[in-house]
Amino acid sequence: MTPANPIPQEPSMPATVKTQTLPLLKKLSQIPKEDYYVPGHRTCAGCGPALQYKLVAKAAGPNTIFIGPTGCMYVANASYLCTPYAVPWIHAQITNGGAVASGIEAAFQVLLRKGKRTGELPNIIVMAGDGGATDIGLQAMSALMYRGHDALFICYDNESYANTGIQTSPTTPYGGNTTFTPPGKAIPEGKRLFPKDPPQLVIGGHPAVKYVATASIAYPIDLINKVRKGLNQKGPAFLHIHAPCPKGWKFDESKTVEIAKLAVETGMWNLYEWIDGEYKHRERGKELKPVGEYLKLQRRFDHLKPEHIAKLQAFVNARQKAPGVPVKVPVPMPREA
Amino acid sequence: MAREVTLSGCAASAQAVKLARVDVICSYPIRPYTAAMMELAKMVAEGELDAEFIHGEGEHAQLSVVYGASAAGARTFTGSSGVGVTYAMEVYSPISGARLPVQMMIADRALDPPGDFGSEHTDAMSCRDQGWMMGWAETPQEAFDNHLINYRIGEDKRVMLPQFVCQDGYFVSHIPGKVLLPEQAQVDEFLPAYDPGPHVLDPKHPVSHGPQIRPDQGAIMDLQRAEAFLDLPKVIEEAVDSYNRIVGRSYSPFIEEYLTDGADIVFFVQGGHAATARHAVRHLRDQGVKAGLVKLRFVRPFPSRQLSEVLSKFKAVGVVETSTSYGGSMRGGNLLPEVRAALYDAPERPLTTSFMAGLGGDVVPLKDFYWMARILSSAIKAGRVGKTVYWAGLEEVSA
Repeated sequence: MTPANPIPQEPSMPATVKTQTLPLLKKLSQIPKEDYYVPGHRTCAGCGPALQYKLVAKAAGPNTIFIGPTGCMYVANASYLCTPYAVPWIHAQITNGGAVASGIEAAFQVLLRKGKRTGELPNIIVMAGDGGATDIGLQAMSALMYRGHDALFICYDNESYANTGIQTSPTTPYGGNTTFTPPGKAIPEGKRLFPKDPPQLVIGGHPAVKYVATASIAYPIDLINKVRKGLNQKGPAFLHIHAPCPKGWKFDESKTVEIAKLAVETGMWNLYEWIDGEYKHRERGKELKPVGEYLKLQRRFDHLKPEHIAKLQAFVNARQKAPGVPVKVPVPMPREA
Repeated sequence: MAREVTLSGCAASAQAVKLARVDVICSYPIRPYTAAMMELAKMVAEGELDAEFIHGEGEHAQLSVVYGASAAGARTFTGSSGVGVTYAMEVYSPISGARLPVQMMIADRALDPPGDFGSEHTDAMSCRDQGWMMGWAETPQEAFDNHLINYRIGEDKRVMLPQFVCQDGYFVSHIPGKVLLPEQAQVDEFLPAYDPGPHVLDPKHPVSHGPQIRPDQGAIMDLQRAEAFLDLPKVIEEAVDSYNRIVGRSYSPFIEEYLTDGADIVFFVQGGHAATARHAVRHLRDQGVKAGLVKLRFVRPFPSRQLSEVLSKFKAVGVVETSTSYGGSMRGGNLLPEVRAALYDAPERPLTTSFMAGLGGDVVPLKDFYWMARILSSAIKAGRVGKTVYWAGLEEVSA
């Protein structure tokens, strides 16, 4: 009988099995026609996360495996016998997207090395919500980044636990009305805390990571190119994608892209790349619109008083000095009056 | 030729993993199982084992990593002890529900509080209903053999289930014993390469793993998992038979009997305390007490039919409980309820009771077995058991 699983005589070679170079785009007409996130989902009308999923899948192409931790993009997408994925997709718990992806990447590395599989290492993409990336899933995400797996971790950020009924997450903005941060007489501004900064969590302490970027559904070419840059380089990459949620943020579903654009134009969302220690900014040089223009279209901010808006404006202004780079802001402590 | 070496249970487990040519290993340190991972780390570092050795960020991650790796077609190994076993709890059902034949070693350990390194089966037994196979080894040799046997069974296309391969912390994991190591060729003959089947993650054949279902779609999937367990005994018998033949062993698949010919009373034990029970039984026989030992090798699937047939032969059965089930039906551990359920339809039922022993990693000395034997003999005389649970060493019982 032939050995089932021969061990090579030579010490095993480091696997260099990814040779792809996904081309970067310059104009909309270059966006691939083929879709790998296809009909079959049942997301809300105007869903920002669904739109970014479609763009990410287009950018990555057919040699891709998606890992889908629990969240909107699991529950509203992946119905048995009717999933929208034209590439392999596997559910992960909301806790462990990074760890499941690590296992898949490791399996491909060793099986390709041992000749038990053929072809290229696939694009391995974790599609995690803000909870699955920065809250309950933070540990697994950080470990994937630390261990240097060849995978892209995406945090699609709709700024709440939307699937479970719009509860606050670490990325819900200051002043956001969620079902866990309802404004009331004692707590007039709703959410009191300022959000976590997901890209900074990755940049600040994961030496294996060379590519981190933020993106927005309002800028699809930029988004696709950032996905491709993350996939073209070897090793872990992290993408933080702004994906407005009509249901959770309480705006008309026809305005998803408009809201996303306003987030960038007011400085509530900053577009940038971090490539091996260097920041690159986009959409710079213009005068920022006041944050009020962004807030007034979303009923989750309806209750805010001028002093709350001023607090948010001060936070945004401070961040504009160097988007992406942490700045000192007057962040209230959770128990401060 | 097979080689005889002296190995602890952990070192024996590592040898089995190496001979099984495992592809992906995920570690996280916790005593006592961690000694197995230390051995494997050395093998990988020395180039003796070509596997991805991933440092998990916790037990939950260990199980998550092997879930992904197994879905991508790798043979996988992980392990834990004590609170590490329970920390990973979320991921056990997704693995068995996905029918991924992941293998996890458990060198058992008491749960907190208070912090206690000692062996106790409660950690693993708390996970017994997660859809995994589960069984204990009594010696490093049996631990070694069980790893290989379990891979073969779990990866069988009729089964496709994950396996908890358990050994008592310290009593087995850290006390060296004689281990006969088979040749690689023997292991390769017994254990073919893992074939993940048609649903492996592969961009050439896209599949969706683990989508959401409606409530009315759930029962059928539960039934399929249950049916896999119904098919298991036959596959276990085949695998143990094949292992005995190829590697030269004499295991019975589910239940081992020791000095049970003509026995009136038997101890029913799983795991390392069976070693002491053997001595106790021999000494009791010398004193004219018709005692025997019945050892359980798989608690999942629970061998109800075989156990009913075997235990029906005796007058009184004393179940040695090394796990807790607070407030459970027998007010003690987890095995007596299973034993009584297995015997329910038997035409001749023995008297049954249980003894809480070895909790917290305490030794179960010979005198405790003699004490149990006196209680069982008294029960036979009285024609009934006094109660369903006795705490060894903590209560006086006039026999």
